[in-house]
Amino acid sequence: MSDETTQRVRATLKKRYLKEKLFRGFGITAIAASLGFLVILLGSIIYKGMPAFQATYLKVDITLNEDTLGVGGTVSDAEMQGANFSGAIKSAMRDRFPDVKKRKAKKNLYALVSSGAEYALAEYMINNREQFGQTVSLWLLADDEADALIKRNKDLSKPIRRGEFKNDSSALVTRLNKDQLGWLQSFKDAGDTDVRISSTFFTNGNSREPEQAGIRAALVGSAYTLLITFALSFPIAVAAAIYLEEFAPQNRWTDLVEVNINNLAAVPSIVFGLLGLAVFINYLQLPRSAPVVGGVVLSLMTLPTIIISSRAALKAVPPSIREAARGLGASPVQVVTHHVLPLAMPGILTGTIIGLAQALGETAPLLMIGMVAFIVDIPGSVTDPSTVLPVQVFLWADAPERAFTERTSAAIMVLLAFLIVMNLAAVLLRKKFERRW
Amino acid sequence: MDKLHLDQHISQQFNQELEDIRNRVLAMGGLVEQQVTNGLTALLENDGDLAEQVSRSDYEVNAMEVEIDEECIQVLARRAPTASDLRLIVAVIKAITDLERIGDEAEKLGRFAAELSSSNRTLEYRKELRHLGGLVRSMLHDSLDAFARLDADAALTIAQRDEDVNAEYENLTRLLTTHLVEDPRRVTEILKITWCARALERIGDHSVNICEYVVYLVKGRDIRHTNIASDHSSTDNNDETS
Amino acid sequence: MSDAAKEAFDALTETVGRVTVDDPKMQAENVDVFYAEKQAIYDVTLDVAKNEVVAMIGPSGCGKSTFLRCLNRMNDTIPSCKVSGNITLEGESLYSSAMDPVMLRARVGMVFQKPNPFAKSIYDNVAYGPKIHGLANNRAELDDIVESSLHRAGLFDEVKDRLNAPGTSLSGGQQQRLCIARTIAVSPEVILMDEPCSALDPIATARIEELIDELRENYAIAIVTHSMQQAARVSQRTAYFHLGKLVEVGETKTIFTNPSHELTENYITGRFG
Repeated sequence: MSDETTQRVRATLKKRYLKEKLFRGFGITAIAASLGFLVILLGSIIYKGMPAFQATYLKVDITLNEDTLGVGGTVSDAEMQGANFSGAIKSAMRDRFPDVKKRKAKKNLYALVSSGAEYALAEYMINNREQFGQTVSLWLLADDEADALIKRNKDLSKPIRRGEFKNDSSALVTRLNKDQLGWLQSFKDAGDTDVRISSTFFTNGNSREPEQAGIRAALVGSAYTLLITFALSFPIAVAAAIYLEEFAPQNRWTDLVEVNINNLAAVPSIVFGLLGLAVFINYLQLPRSAPVVGGVVLSLMTLPTIIISSRAALKAVPPSIREAARGLGASPVQVVTHHVLPLAMPGILTGTIIGLAQALGETAPLLMIGMVAFIVDIPGSVTDPSTVLPVQVFLWADAPERAFTERTSAAIMVLLAFLIVMNLAAVLLRKKFERRW
Repeated sequence: MDKLHLDQHISQQFNQELEDIRNRVLAMGGLVEQQVTNGLTALLENDGDLAEQVSRSDYEVNAMEVEIDEECIQVLARRAPTASDLRLIVAVIKAITDLERIGDEAEKLGRFAAELSSSNRTLEYRKELRHLGGLVRSMLHDSLDAFARLDADAALTIAQRDEDVNAEYENLTRLLTTHLVEDPRRVTEILKITWCARALERIGDHSVNICEYVVYLVKGRDIRHTNIASDHSSTDNNDETS
Repeated sequence: MSDAAKEAFDALTETVGRVTVDDPKMQAENVDVFYAEKQAIYDVTLDVAKNEVVAMIGPSGCGKSTFLRCLNRMNDTIPSCKVSGNITLEGESLYSSAMDPVMLRARVGMVFQKPNPFAKSIYDNVAYGPKIHGLANNRAELDDIVESSLHRAGLFDEVKDRLNAPGTSLSGGQQQRLCIARTIAVSPEVILMDEPCSALDPIATARIEELIDELRENYAIAIVTHSMQQAARVSQRTAYFHLGKLVEVGETKTIFTNPSHELTENYITGRFG
């Protein structure tokens, strides 16, 4: 290099390095910003959702005898199930607060305990028949409003944010009234409240009562739906991709098919829902709200994604491998099954997982085929009515009770966990299939 | 394919190297030819100074041989020449050996001329060499010319002239033997003249070799130790078919 | 192309030199190859003799690889590729309906430019061909085939302790010898090599060339190479292709000292042409 060239280059060097630094700075800022948002999002979800895994219990002395229950101690389980446990709980509450006389006040008192407590009590009674006729101290599930206050350890003596305290930020936000807060305080003072880790959220189906509402029905529904989606879309998509990539002649028809597949991937998912509604439910008379229909609709939606990524994975297999196999006399199918497919498998699996993750988070098409129903029972098969996680999130987010907020966040957490598990499975599968050479 | 197209290589450097080798060979040939001419002149004109000069300047030819040899080896090692390039290098390596020998013979002529220059008496005997010398000189000149022009046909014709040289040498030997018998006092001188004749005959042989290399270089055929005349015609036939 | 060379090429209607041999293994007669409308090979006639290495040289795009791939129908998968003329293996026509391409490729093996071992172990790489063709009745026979193939490819001593290591863990030269072992494991009659050393260093190249010379005892070998020195070293006959025409065929020793055609001369001496 001549001296002049050296000088000219040197003059630009500083500017160049500055640009490089700037560019790197932008990149790091972008990553930091996105990480920050992610942390905020996850943090808020976890903060809001964690209480859903806990439940507040109130300790109440309940007399279990013929007077309170209205049945004898030796009746069959079915009859015992139908006994007046609700009455027993009410009388126990009355006994605890004998001052409460007014009908309305009594109703408010009973409302502190969850309406589901009687079922838990009935189950307890059936399992502990020898305690019939005795008065036992039992922990009963608290109502969602009481639950929210106790769980968050609020100062119950504070005023309620209503009327004159409307703008007082330290006031309690609750639907309970002053009396109920007082009773709750007395439970608390007596040490008769307990916040326990509760599996209710994972074992129950949906419920009108937030404290009893669980994710299980939606979880099982999602699992069934995804199972159907995977079972349908994976083999069909891989077969289609292999045919198009390895065997199909290059002509106008295959071009047309290719264009259509690419376009299908961009079709709004609700269109698939309409299709499912029209074809599978109205025409084929398949059951409404069932994972089988949801799965079929979602696989229609997933197919293009998997086909496109599988084709890319197949294309990425070096042609030299195909030539080597053909040169040794392997038939076209042997070339694909022995050499191309194993090498493309990791890529295909990645595409599949992306497609399934998309399907897992999909709501719109499922709304169209009725998977938005209120499902209390855990679905036992793919034809039972069920809902899925994102739809459940959607439903709860829409519910008026404040306690559903934490359920919503918790459901989102479960959805994310489901995704992580799926991705983990994909990584493990990749590891298994991927040859490390 | 009578031309070597030395300027048509994709590598300009290679072109130059081959061209350089060829030019050096031609320069060496020119020098050798000059030596032979000078040696002969010194012998015939009884020029002692020229004779001294000829007998002492052989080192120039030798140095040129070493230089060209080195260059050829470099080309062989670095260019891995093939076909006509390969033949050119091989022909050059062989031709410069012959040229160097011719140089040796010229030196011999010069040495004998210097030794004989002290006595004028043998001049008449030496005159007998004139004809043979002329034949050999023109043969050497023409073969170098054929080498320069890559003229295989001419080379073949020139090679055939060696028969005339040999016949003339036979005659000369017989004549000198007669002189020897007639004038026994001049035995040493006459023997030296015989050796000069012998040297000239050798130069003719080396010229034939050079012609053979030209044919090899141009036609790619080795015609050594074969009947040149019959080969000549078959080479022509080969030319037509290819 | 210089005017003279262009003239010489246009005037070329017939290959210079003898294209046939006395004991042919494969014979190609008047082969034309078209890619769609474009003609890649013009009327090539060439024999491959038994126990002979025939080298095909020529500038890029001269059709030598295309011609080589016609010899075991590797061009079949290119839909636009049409081959006319007659190619025979031991007198059986390659492109007749009676000839199955899978069967053919078991008889005419191929080694490629880039070493391309399968993503399998060294053992499985060699065993793959015999497995799909059912050449071994049991594991012991398969072991024998693998071992002898590796031996013949001069690779066994280097890999005997790690037959289960991946084929791609070997060096480039070893990989190429593995590919050769894989090819000879099927006991082909002819081996086609498409620039087998272009990705290798000189030492690995020398090993492969030595191997090719040994393999000549049992196989007919056709090799396409860009290295004229390699063609000169390994082959007995050399064929020079230019723009789809077979310009000249001859004994290697003649081609490299005294080629007959101007185009051949220009190519091998590195002249404009």
